[in-house]
Amino acid sequence: MSLSSGRSAHELTRLRFHWSMSAAGDPSRATKARAEVSGIPDLKAHIEFCRTAEQAGLEYLLTAFGSHRPDAVVLAAALGMVSDRIKFLVAVRSGLCSPTAFVQQINTVSVLTGGRVGLNFVNGHSEREQRYYGDFLDHDQRYVRSNEFLDVCRALWAGRGPVSHAGRHFRVEGAVLNTPFRSPERSAPELYIGGASPQAVRQACRHNACLLTTPAPAEQLMARLAPLRAHGGRAGLIVGLIARQTREAALAAADALLQRTNTAARAVHRSFRAQSSSTAFAMTFDRALETEWLSPTLWTGAVPFLGPSATALLGSYDEIADTLMEYGRQGIREFLFLGWPDLDEMQRFGGELAPRVREREMELC
Amino acid sequence: MLKFHWRLLQGGETGSASRAAMALRPETARPDIAAQLAFCRLAEDLGFTGLLVDIGAAKPDPIVLASALGLGSRTIEFIIACRSGLQSPAVFAQQINTLSALSDGRVSLNVVAGHSPAEQRFYGDFLDHEERYARTAEFLAICEAFWRHDKPVNYRGRYYAVENGELGSTFVSQRRHRPELLIAGGSAPARELAIAHGDCWMRLPEPPAALEAASRPVLAAGKTVGLRHAIIGARTRAEALEIAYGLREGADRTTPDRQLEGNFIARSDSTSFKAMYQVAETTEWLTPVLWTGLVQSHGAPAIALVGSADEIAAALIDFKHAGTSQFILSGWPKAQSMQFFGEEVLPRVRRLEQRLAVA
Repeated sequence: MSLSSGRSAHELTRLRFHWSMSAAGDPSRATKARAEVSGIPDLKAHIEFCRTAEQAGLEYLLTAFGSHRPDAVVLAAALGMVSDRIKFLVAVRSGLCSPTAFVQQINTVSVLTGGRVGLNFVNGHSEREQRYYGDFLDHDQRYVRSNEFLDVCRALWAGRGPVSHAGRHFRVEGAVLNTPFRSPERSAPELYIGGASPQAVRQACRHNACLLTTPAPAEQLMARLAPLRAHGGRAGLIVGLIARQTREAALAAADALLQRTNTAARAVHRSFRAQSSSTAFAMTFDRALETEWLSPTLWTGAVPFLGPSATALLGSYDEIADTLMEYGRQGIREFLFLGWPDLDEMQRFGGELAPRVREREMELC
Repeated sequence: MLKFHWRLLQGGETGSASRAAMALRPETARPDIAAQLAFCRLAEDLGFTGLLVDIGAAKPDPIVLASALGLGSRTIEFIIACRSGLQSPAVFAQQINTLSALSDGRVSLNVVAGHSPAEQRFYGDFLDHEERYARTAEFLAICEAFWRHDKPVNYRGRYYAVENGELGSTFVSQRRHRPELLIAGGSAPARELAIAHGDCWMRLPEPPAALEAASRPVLAAGKTVGLRHAIIGARTRAEALEIAYGLREGADRTTPDRQLEGNFIARSDSTSFKAMYQVAETTEWLTPVLWTGLVQSHGAPAIALVGSADEIAAALIDFKHAGTSQFILSGWPKAQSMQFFGEEVLPRVRRLEQRLAVA
């Protein structure tokens, strides 16, 4: 049950940890209807979020995309000016922007931040919302388009002279951008593909991207990742985190979380599920109605209240550290966490959980 | 009161480099945030309203650059150059809204049509000049609907479709529900676009009488007129002329500026840039202070008011009488010329305006 067979050098690298910034300034993450959420960024809250993430030793903060949110690229550029080390994982949907204009924006962010920008390609999970942006394609067609979008973007980053492309969705001729992607380590941004569908997995393979996927029972997850395994690709999990000193304390924290959320939240997510075209979200949501535990440390009890992204690693610091190491052995080596509220969980991650993971990694060496 | 803006300093920009020569330099495409922030603060201290942030394949993205500069500045507005056809209108409005929230509404837009068909194709834009204006009209109509909070936004046009669109963000400003829209271009479609969707028609200068005639329909529609040009000023007229001629000779000597600009114009489909290039061929002085001497080496916006601070201030007031209310200016070197304007010309303009108000 391992993505790459044997103990490769790849496996000996450290696990990588990221966090979602989508609830910065909103300690009651995901309990409001989208129409009630403000798309106006609270700059002070975002700066505090970045600082806390840096202190916790996190690598990327996800700036999500959505019509109810601030723009992810603009937010990353601005926050890059008031932070030092944290990187920004900018969520991208194809079809909203010329690939050339997009690369120019991302390259500009890279020059401004010393390369602290990566990209998380997402397919969009609501056809209703896609139409706000003039996008009338369905789930599968959107994957065809985003593959083409990525082809053009990657050709521009490859920097082998003017880029021409005549495809089904995009056509560019002789494109040259003078603003380079600037980073101490890379000549193009690190690529992530968010999703759980076969199309998402194939896309991660095709573009040498890390598949950032949702949790599932172990066998299902391994089956999903099988094509990546054959390809030697990278995988990561988007998962909630409820870690405490003891398992009992973690369970109590989970109970308290359920009590804080209200029935309105349940209705919000049920209605969102009904109109979503995302395979990952639908599967996670439906499964959570059947069972609360996918494994002894993987809890879906909050999903009916807080949505599919509320599947959480739950347990003592030691239990979670062991679970993360086990995922690592299976080839899942990156984690994008969410917390309730984020800042507290992030501090516990930095102070308690991360040191335990690093200790275990040292022992392996 | 007349409003004055300057063009933002570009990465690595020094001295008298021409527009075409700057486009070939790799530094131009890379923000130099320390130098550019210092330039923003200088513009604020000198009393300027805004700074124009250019768009082009040889430059950084203006929205992203302004997002970074917004956090380190206090009062200066960013006049973001934008072209339709690069982004979905909803994404564009969302980006501008986010920028407005991060900069207390210090955002306005300089809407351009693009002046090089070859460069438009880099971005997947294969439309001709007239069609680009038609598309821009649709683009602005949709953005306006988002800014007006139509709930929801529905639009079905030739170039764009939006169905039940909503954004969670608004344009954040004490004064406006959307950014001020400067519509750039000297052609008839540009003027019509300014009247239909804009606030201000931004164009290159010509002698005040001709300018007044061209501006009349715009002013009659309740819109304003702005000018974009250069300033070459000094303590005396003689010194200003010496600087101007020096710039022209320098252009001929150090870089193939004329050749680069000639090539650019040959391939451009900009009506006003081509027209200005032609005018410069035959007429060096359009008025005693309006000089075309750098147009064929430094580009059409290098048409300059040349003279003493008093002469320049008087010429600006003449433009005001012709119906102009704001200016996007530049000079060489950019910071020093901005400083001269702010310290020497601006106070004179304000005194003349006060006298007019009293009279």
